Amino acid sequence: MKSHTKLKLRFRWLILLGSALTGLGLVNSPAEVTTVEIVHYFSVQGQIDALNQLQKDFEAANPDIKIHYTYVPFGELVSRTLQMAAVHKPPGISAIDNPDVLRVAKAGILKDISAAVAKIQVWDDVYPGPKAAVTDGSKVYGMPIGSNSLALYYSKKLLTDAGVSAPPQTWDQLTETASKTTKSPVYGIAFSAVNTEEATWQWEPFLWSNGGSLTDLSSKDAQVALQLWVDWVKKGYASKDVVNWNQGDVPNQFIGGSAATMVMGPWQLANVKKSGVDFGIVTIPVPKEGSKPVVPLGGEVWCVLKGDSKVEEAAVKFIQFTQEPERLRKICDTFNYISSIRSVAKQQGEANPELKPFVDQMDTARARSQDGGAKYPDISLAARTAIQRALTGQASVEDALKDAAEKIKSILAK
Amino acid sequence: MFILPFVVFCLILLLYPVIYSLTLSFRQATVETFVSGDMPFNGLTQYQAAIADPVFWRAVVNTLLFAFFSILFQFSIGFLLALQFQADFPLKNFCLALLLIPWVSPVLTAANIFKGLFNETGPINQMFHSIGLGPFAWLAEPAYAFPATIVANIWIGFPFNFILLYAGMRSIPVELYEAAKIDGARFWKRVGYITLPLLKPVSVAVLTLGTIYTVKVFDLVWIMTGGGPANGTHLLSTYAYQVGFSVLNFGEAAAIATLMVLLVLLLNLAQLVLQRK
Repeated sequence: MKSHTKLKLRFRWLILLGSALTGLGLVNSPAEVTTVEIVHYFSVQGQIDALNQLQKDFEAANPDIKIHYTYVPFGELVSRTLQMAAVHKPPGISAIDNPDVLRVAKAGILKDISAAVAKIQVWDDVYPGPKAAVTDGSKVYGMPIGSNSLALYYSKKLLTDAGVSAPPQTWDQLTETASKTTKSPVYGIAFSAVNTEEATWQWEPFLWSNGGSLTDLSSKDAQVALQLWVDWVKKGYASKDVVNWNQGDVPNQFIGGSAATMVMGPWQLANVKKSGVDFGIVTIPVPKEGSKPVVPLGGEVWCVLKGDSKVEEAAVKFIQFTQEPERLRKICDTFNYISSIRSVAKQQGEANPELKPFVDQMDTARARSQDGGAKYPDISLAARTAIQRALTGQASVEDALKDAAEKIKSILAK
Repeated sequence: MFILPFVVFCLILLLYPVIYSLTLSFRQATVETFVSGDMPFNGLTQYQAAIADPVFWRAVVNTLLFAFFSILFQFSIGFLLALQFQADFPLKNFCLALLLIPWVSPVLTAANIFKGLFNETGPINQMFHSIGLGPFAWLAEPAYAFPATIVANIWIGFPFNFILLYAGMRSIPVELYEAAKIDGARFWKRVGYITLPLLKPVSVAVLTLGTIYTVKVFDLVWIMTGGGPANGTHLLSTYAYQVGFSVLNFGEAAAIATLMVLLVLLLNLAQLVLQRK
């Protein structure tokens, strides 16, 4: 109680002092402070620290701008952003998951920042995948914070024990590795095919590397890619539970020694390292030797919302600030993301060999919204239903994909 | 005079959301129209789209089966336990406290524990393995995954049934049982002719609340299966959420939610009619 009063008193003194100084013109306070609200769903401590540091640095460099972060749960970010815009209280920036950017842009609430990004030196150095995720024709709706994707983690010990000398690079080698390492209770491979976006996202490296597309699932390429997964489960190389594992369950299997390999992203690196498993990472195995792995891009995008022109300007300033190479490198390192900018990403790969496979895949990586644009979320839902039906034996690969293809056709026609 | 705050509270916090959701279900509310705010009325289009999808009907059937089996077992287990607890036995109060654990544990925790229990290498399969059966892919096979979610829900819900029925039984005068005993009525006769009829008002309340509680279950199923595999475990609640927040078709999600409310009303009405008879 006592200290409370003390605090209050001191506070009053500060105000008095402050107003006196201002009155004397000793403190040169800016005429008006613009506040940029940033809506995001980052909740890992390292990410929050990085955001706070960013705020500190930016506000120090721009005393007339204040940054205010608002945390929103992952599943609610898009609807919350839409809601705020609908009642004419848009945030300055929304950190939108990249496959959703074009869809939100379609609602007409995102500012086209093509003029601003043209001024950012590094824009030409942005990989084609992340660029596609934020671009619609000549319009640019945001700047990627960084990217992540999927690669193959393998346990060195389990592979050596099974007599596999080198990590797999092709599908045949991967299936062979899986078959050799499968020995109860160890499964050869773990991946996530749960009834959420995770299933589509984890299957896309196989579909796309094989030349398929979500917009044409009845193709032979798509069938072969899904058959690969179905065979693994049928032959017992992968657990039947994959249809119920999310991307948090998969690394637990790998760390616990029940899976010899897993399809996983860079955000699990710290976790797997901490566990003490002796592991390696290779790029996603490809259908045939020599073909390129095509993986989907994850990661969020700084998007500026239409609103007060002053706030818009300040928001753009903030985004430009984040893109200075050294700062960007630091942000991406703490986020465990690969920079969307080639020169920065290359540095990351050199400094950290575990990230190298992810960096190597960036050149050919695709934005998910390259399949279907703003309609990607609907299409992805149809695709994952097909994946689950085929994996659980509810339908043959061919029928499951044919049904999904029809559904997707009607979605695209709308 | 003092009624005004209450009325305002009801109007703003209770009635407005219901009406908003209802009108939303008659509007074309998608990402584009939601922000611009025009959301044109288009009659029953959302309802037609909802019922045209086979997954919707799967969800309806699942919701009904889920409610029926959950309540059947929750009520019977609760009833039998309540009977048992009418007698005195050692550690009675301790057991009473234990029985409430499922009810007070957060659904989030319970759902994740059940997900682990039903894992292919989990304890339940180990149990079956020890008697030479399995392994079953409990949550990976649609035919098993749905019953598995019901089992989890029964575990969460039976203490609620138990505690209300237990309290109800204690309010029945002991003299009635003593008189019946003297007349030579055996245990099950006493249950059938005294306990059940006198417990009717409590049972009605328990069943009505149970119906509401089970039809609106969302978190448990969402965590255990996400409505999968192959949409096999979708309830109306999880399906509406998927349409609303994954596909972002707010109008259709509102239509599904409205149909879900109608279903609860119908079920409760049916219960009332049956109990009047």
